[in-house]
Amino acid sequence: MLCRVAEDIFWMSRHVERAIAVGRLIDVTLHLELDDREVTEAHGGRWAYLLTPRADERADPLSLAEPGAGAADPRSVRYYLAFDVDNPRSLVSCVQRGRRAARRVRESISSDMWEALNALHLSLVDPAIARSAEDDPHVFYKRIREGAQFVQGLADATLARDEAWHFGRLGTYLERADTVAHMLGLQAHLLLGAGDEDHLVRWLAVLRSCGAAEAYARYYSLRVEPARVIEFLLLNSVFPQAVCFSLRTARSSLLALAADVLDGPTGASRQGVSPAVRGLGLLTAQLENVGVDEVLEGGLQPYLTDVQRQIAGVCDHITRVYLRDEPQPGRLVAVARAAMLMAAQQQQ
Amino acid sequence: MSDVGVAEERPANPVPDYDPGTFWDEMFIARGRVRPHYFGLAGRLATLSPADVARRQHAAELSFQTRGITFAVNQGPEGVEKIMPFDLIPRVILPSEWDTIARGLEQRVRALNLFLHDIYHTQRILRAGVIPAELVLGARGYRREFRGVDVPLGVYTHVVGSDLVRDASGQFYVLEDNLRTPSGVSYVVENRRVLKRTWPQLFQDYDVRPVEGYPQDLLAVLRAIAPPTAEDPVVVLLTPGSYNSAYFEHAFLAKAMGIEMVQGSDLFVDDAQVYMRTTRGRRRVDVIYRRIDDDFLDPLTFRPDSLLGVPGLVASYRLGRVSLANAIGTGVADDKAVYAYVPDMIRYYLAEDMILPNVPTYVPVRPADRQYVLDHLDELVVKSVNESGGYGMLIGPHAPQADRDLYRERILADPRGFIAQPTLALSRHACWADDHLEPRHIDLRPFLLFGRGISITPGGLTRVALRRGSLVVNSSQGGGAKDTWVLADSVSATPALGASHAV
Repeated sequence: MLCRVAEDIFWMSRHVERAIAVGRLIDVTLHLELDDREVTEAHGGRWAYLLTPRADERADPLSLAEPGAGAADPRSVRYYLAFDVDNPRSLVSCVQRGRRAARRVRESISSDMWEALNALHLSLVDPAIARSAEDDPHVFYKRIREGAQFVQGLADATLARDEAWHFGRLGTYLERADTVAHMLGLQAHLLLGAGDEDHLVRWLAVLRSCGAAEAYARYYSLRVEPARVIEFLLLNSVFPQAVCFSLRTARSSLLALAADVLDGPTGASRQGVSPAVRGLGLLTAQLENVGVDEVLEGGLQPYLTDVQRQIAGVCDHITRVYLRDEPQPGRLVAVARAAMLMAAQQQQ
Repeated sequence: MSDVGVAEERPANPVPDYDPGTFWDEMFIARGRVRPHYFGLAGRLATLSPADVARRQHAAELSFQTRGITFAVNQGPEGVEKIMPFDLIPRVILPSEWDTIARGLEQRVRALNLFLHDIYHTQRILRAGVIPAELVLGARGYRREFRGVDVPLGVYTHVVGSDLVRDASGQFYVLEDNLRTPSGVSYVVENRRVLKRTWPQLFQDYDVRPVEGYPQDLLAVLRAIAPPTAEDPVVVLLTPGSYNSAYFEHAFLAKAMGIEMVQGSDLFVDDAQVYMRTTRGRRRVDVIYRRIDDDFLDPLTFRPDSLLGVPGLVASYRLGRVSLANAIGTGVADDKAVYAYVPDMIRYYLAEDMILPNVPTYVPVRPADRQYVLDHLDELVVKSVNESGGYGMLIGPHAPQADRDLYRERILADPRGFIAQPTLALSRHACWADDHLEPRHIDLRPFLLFGRGISITPGGLTRVALRRGSLVVNSSQGGGAKDTWVLADSVSATPALGASHAV
C-alpha cells in the first residue's frame, strides 16, 4: 500500500473517531446542564472545562477560554466545539477532514464507507445546521454520532483484513485511547472535592461521555465511585472504550502491519522491532499491570499526561516508519544519472 | 420490446407541443411524431405525471451527490464540487447507426496511429507532401525529442475519446479527436447505473448493450503494453490529485481496475526504473496510465516547475523500462489544424475512403482557405488550435462585429493558430426541463481502446448543452450528460412499430 494512502486512511479514522467523541461530549454536557441545580453559575464553568487543551497541544486560541471564564457563554462554546471551521477539532472540522482524506483514497476504501462519510459531510454543509442543532440537540448529536459510527461499522464489514483495515483500526483506537485519557483528565480535579451528589453526577457524565455508563453498571453493579470509574475507563481490558483495551487493539494491528512489513518482499530493509511497536508494547504492558490505587497515588493528572505523551510518541514513530517514506539517499544521484542517460541518447 | 400494449397502439406523445424545429431531433421525426425506436420511452413517459418524472430526476441527482460523482470547479475551497448535470431521458442509438460509428472510429484511429508512428520515425507522409511538414513539426503537441523512440505494439493512443456531432440531415461527423487524456468515461458507466435504477422496467424492455466492461478492457490494454521484461506487470494510474476536475474518474477507474492510484510524489526513479513508495518499501512500476499532460510528466524534460510529475520518468520511458498510456507526443495528431488532414491520412495509409466524415475545415495557413475564412467570418465558427473546452472560439453568426474584427486581425497575425468550420446545426434531443420536454443540442463522445486490437464501448458520453439554444456542451461551461443506449440488434428497433407508424 502507498505510504500516502496509508497515512490518509490512518487520519480519516482518527477524524471520524474524534467526531464521535466531540459529539458525545457536547450531548452529555447538555444533559448535565439539565440536572443542574445552581443554574446560573455552574453552566459556564461546565462548558469552559471542555475547552481545556489536550496534553499535546497549546491552549485553544479562544477568548472564551480565558481564566475566569466561568461566564463563558455555553452557546458560544457549543458553537466552537461543534461548528467552528476555524477550530480544527470541531465536529464539523473533523468530519470535513475525515471526508477529505477519504476522498483522496476513495479507490482504496470501500465505496460504502466513502458514501457514508460523504453523506455525513453533506448533511453538515447546510448553513442552517447550527440552528437546528440548538433546537433539538439530542436528536442532532445522536444522528451525527450514528453517522460516524456507521462509517466505522462499514470499515469492519466491508474491508478485507489487510493493510487498509489495520491502518484504519490503528488510527481509530489510538485516537480513542488519547480521547478517553483526555476526558478523564478533564475531571481529575473532582477527586480533590468532597464526594457529594453533584460530583457523582459528574463522574456518571464522564462515563456517558465515553459511552460507558451501561457497561460500567453491568461490570460493577454498584454506585458510581471515582476510583472504579477511573479503573474502568483506564485499565479495563475487555471494554472497547477503555484506554487499555484501545491500546491493546491498536497494538494487535500494529503487530500485524509490522509482521507484514518484515515478511514483505523488501522486508530486509526494515529489520528489527520498530520503535513504534516497542513504544506501544511498553505502554500497553504498563496499563495491563498497574492497579488503580497506584495510579491515584502518584496523581491521576500526571499519570494521564504521561499516557497521552506516550501515545503521541507512538504516533510519531508510526508516521516516520510506515507513513512517510524517508527520502531515498541515492535519489538525487539517480535523477542526475537519468538526466545524463537521456542527454546521451539525444545526442545519438 | 416486450411491451405489447405499446406495440398495438400509437404511443401517447408526452409533449404534443414539443417542437423539433428544423434540426435533426434524435427522438422526434416531426411535431408529435416519435421515432420508432423511442416508442417505448415515449409510452413510458406518457404514463407518468410531471411530478413523477421530477421525483425521479431528483433521486438521480441525489444519488450522484451522495456518491461523490462530482467534479471540482476551479480549485475552489471545500464543497464546491459540482455534480455533472444529468438528464434522465436516455439517448437511443440504432444498431445500424452504431455500426457506422464504430467502423468509422476504428478506421480513423488506425490511421492516426500510423500517422504518429510515421512522423516520429521516417516521416514518409511529410516527404510525400500529403501534409505540410511545417504544420506537423511546428505543432505545439509535436515532441521532436521522441523521434526514433519505439512504443509497445506501435500503438500511441490507447484511450481515445473523439467527439461526434450530427447535422440537420442526421449525418454523423467527427468534430475533434481527443488523443491525449480524454475524460468522461466514468460518467458513461455511472450514468448507466443511475438510469437503470431510474427506469428499471424501461431498461428491461429495451435490449441495451452493456458499458460496464470498460475498466476491465482498459486494464487488459494497459497490461498488454507492459515492457516485455515485466512478467506480472504492475499498473498504476497517475493522477494530478484530488483537486483535479476529473479526480472522480481517476479514483473510479483505479478502483474498478484494482490498481493503485498514485500522485507524482508517490513515484520515484532509481537507475532508470520507476518505483512507488509503499508501506512495505519500494515497488516496481511497469505501466502508468497517466492522467496528466505531457508538459507535467517530468520536470527534468518538460516544465521544470511541475510538481505533479516524476523526475527521471521520461528517461525511463525512452529506455522502455516503463510504458505510458497514452504515449508521449500524441497531441500533434489531435491538433485542430492537423485534424483537417485526417481524410488524407486515411487515404494515404489505408487506401480507404473515410467512413465517418470530418467537418469541413478551413486551414488559414493555406492562402485560399485564409481568404475564404476572412470573407465569411459571419458564417463560420473560428477556433484557436491551442485551446479546448469551448474556450477561444468565435461563433461568427452570433458574434458582434467587434469580435469578428478582432479575430480577423488575429488570423492574419497567426494563420497557424486558427481553423474555421461552417456553423453546424447540431442535432437535438428531448430533455426534461422542470415539468416538460424541451429540445437541447447534444454531441457524442464514444470511448475507444487500442491495445492488441481495438474495442469501442457501445454508447459513450452524450453531452447536452443544457441552456436553451446553447451549442456549448462542455461540462466546464454548463453542459450536462445523458445516458446513451446502443441497442443490441435490430429487433429492438421494432420493425413492426416502424412500419405501422412510418408516416
